[in-house]
Amino acid sequence: MPGLEFHDIHKSFGAVRALRGVSLSVLPGETHALIGENGAGKSTLLKILAGVVTPDAGDIALDDHRLSLKGPREALVHGIGMVYQESLMFPNLTVSGNIFAGRELIGRGGVLREREMRSRTRDLLARLHLALAPEAPMEHLSAAHAQLVQVARALAFDCRVLVLDEPTTALTLAEAEHLFRILGDLRSRGVTILYVSHRIPEVFRLCDRITVLRDGQYVGTYDRAAVAHDDIVRAMVGRDLPPRTIEHAAADGDVVLEVRGLARPPALADASLTVRRGEIVGIFGLVGSGRSELLETIFGLRRATRGEVIVSGRRLRGGGVIEAARAGIALVPEDRQRQALLFNLTLRHNLVLPRAVAERTMVVRAPEERRFSSGLLQALRIKAPGVETTPDQLSGGNQQKVVLARWLGIEPRVFLLDEPTKGVDIGAKDEIHAIIRQKAAAGAACVVVSSDLPEVLAMAHRVVVMREGVIQGELAADAANEESVMRLATAPVRRAS
Amino acid sequence: MGVRAPRAPVLRRLWRVREASTLAILLLEIVFFGWYLWPEYGTYHPFLNSANALLVLKYSSIYGIAAIGAAIVIISGGIDLSPGAVIALASVVTGGLFVEGGWGLGPSVVAGLLVGVASGLLVSLLVIAVQLPPFIATLGAMGIVRGVGFVVTEGRYYDLSRLLPRAWHPFGIPLDWWPPTVMITLALVFHVAMHKLQWGRAVYATGGNETAALFSGISLPRIKTSVYLISAVLAAVSGVVLALVQGQGKADLAMGYELDIIASAVVGGASLSGGRGSVIGAVLGALIFGVLRNALAQIPGATFYDRMIVGMVVIVIVVMDQILVKRGA
Repeated sequence: MPGLEFHDIHKSFGAVRALRGVSLSVLPGETHALIGENGAGKSTLLKILAGVVTPDAGDIALDDHRLSLKGPREALVHGIGMVYQESLMFPNLTVSGNIFAGRELIGRGGVLREREMRSRTRDLLARLHLALAPEAPMEHLSAAHAQLVQVARALAFDCRVLVLDEPTTALTLAEAEHLFRILGDLRSRGVTILYVSHRIPEVFRLCDRITVLRDGQYVGTYDRAAVAHDDIVRAMVGRDLPPRTIEHAAADGDVVLEVRGLARPPALADASLTVRRGEIVGIFGLVGSGRSELLETIFGLRRATRGEVIVSGRRLRGGGVIEAARAGIALVPEDRQRQALLFNLTLRHNLVLPRAVAERTMVVRAPEERRFSSGLLQALRIKAPGVETTPDQLSGGNQQKVVLARWLGIEPRVFLLDEPTKGVDIGAKDEIHAIIRQKAAAGAACVVVSSDLPEVLAMAHRVVVMREGVIQGELAADAANEESVMRLATAPVRRAS
Repeated sequence: MGVRAPRAPVLRRLWRVREASTLAILLLEIVFFGWYLWPEYGTYHPFLNSANALLVLKYSSIYGIAAIGAAIVIISGGIDLSPGAVIALASVVTGGLFVEGGWGLGPSVVAGLLVGVASGLLVSLLVIAVQLPPFIATLGAMGIVRGVGFVVTEGRYYDLSRLLPRAWHPFGIPLDWWPPTVMITLALVFHVAMHKLQWGRAVYATGGNETAALFSGISLPRIKTSVYLISAVLAAVSGVVLALVQGQGKADLAMGYELDIIASAVVGGASLSGGRGSVIGAVLGALIFGVLRNALAQIPGATFYDRMIVGMVVIVIVVMDQILVKRGA
């Protein structure tokens, strides 16, 4: 008996064929995972289901009833509730205002029935075991709570199918646990759940069946009980991945980056750090530990109130990003959409810009830039139609590689990376790791901030742990494991004397 | 589909040039009014004649020169409401110094241009140091600059024309040819600067994503100062040109021009959300409005509809442009 069915869905964006005949069915009441690398077509399929994108061919049926989704509203009317990856919420409204946004309860004369909306919000929040006030302003909520408010919004109107797109990306472990409990609870009440993720352990924990997409095509649907982790990886990537080699070779080169007592209150209290030539130092810390602030202060985006940054023996004089870039420091920021990519300019301009700034270029030399940037595309195996296309034509993983590539153009001596593999699929993740290792082997001093602890442990020669803007301690590769790192990350802060 | 097209034919490739659609609209407009205003057999065409063409060019250039600056500011993600006021004050300063101050023409012109420098620096200060939104900063500057004009003139106006030589050919070019010459030269210069200089790329980058520009090491204060300075100086150029061509300097000149100037830039493809636009497009936009006003003035009774039609044309052209761009992509 059919639940939600996709039948032979096709969709192209210009020359990019996002979906090529995808069919799959989600049984009523099951929790179904949809996984695939970035660019596999998951997001496009979801957008079609949400009614935001119209397919070129194919249709969607819910309980044998063909849906013609002409807009986001109709998906809701049919009982399909979406929880998006980026919180599409109104920070200026209250929790209850967000839940009812666009579907406000309206009384006689067009007056909003505030009290009723608040009380229904209270019920919904109670169902999700959320200790939140309906009147609380959205902007005061944590990422996890914002996500759960989205779930509440989906449930507010008789939701039969709940669709979640990478819901745990911004959540801590404990918050993710809470979400999983709620999803389990909803499942026991008969809600069909379509869960999109590329975190395989999560999917195995939560879902009954797993559907894998690759390059816009349906690969297969697997029963959780009958499939192993590695089978899913192989289905996603389409090839065997080499086993992860952990190179713990300690570097003993010259000190390239030296940070002494760097402070920028309130986020950064006191940080000292040395990184040698060829070394990869991992920085781990929970959200709010001041990791990003440390990198941004080293890079000159924030002015330090105290302390100094020394690159190859030369002290930076607070000249901002331009001085840092000229000294050979590069920063790959955390949020590629907001902090790195220029969507109104072509890949060529995106790739050349940091080099042009560092070299104080005056005149644009298009032919040279075209050669240079297509060289970078090739070197990093970035899949793009060419250097004169805009970044929005690329998948997330390839966009992230562009963000890396643009700073490799200055041949950095110090390579700072803030969550370099956030939101990136396994294939791209391995490639990004390889790029970082290669840069380190070529002599760059690399600093990798990541909240993905296995990633830090796999990459770093040393692990530095931060908490509340202070460096808590440092562990050599062989002493660093999940337990020792987490213990440092959650230990009480040692204040500098 | 699927297989990438080898190479688009010439016409298609030409169409992809950002300014092509604006130029097409301008040409269509000229053809339309040429047909609509076609005279009885044997009589003189009131619209399609060289004297009228020069007239259109001359007056459009006043908007067009300032619209180049407006486009650059809009591309950088800002907005400038002060050009009308700067035009007026520049005409007042040049006129006042030349007519009543006994200054030579050269120094008076330079002083008029300095009005632009001062206004541009004021706006930059407000936007960068005081962190005001550009809309507010330039709204304030508009009032202040306009106000200075009234305070200086106290209701007088300066008649330059009686002091300027008759049939004047500065540097060998007839006076009436000067505005379009200045406009076209400046448009070409800034077109090249926007596309061939790192500065221009930084302006596009800043308008496209200010945070990413900052993270790329672009100095936002430097870029913002440069765009507001250029916008105000180009408005001052308009003002000086207007003073010389019309022969007068007056504090209430160019009232409300700022909106026509912004409209020219927008019709020429500038996106008010920043990151997109063209200086050549802005000049073509100014010509579209120049032709429209000139032709409407020749249709009996149409002058009352002038503002209304101009308003509708802005909307129609921007919508058409969006459709064309979407189809081309």
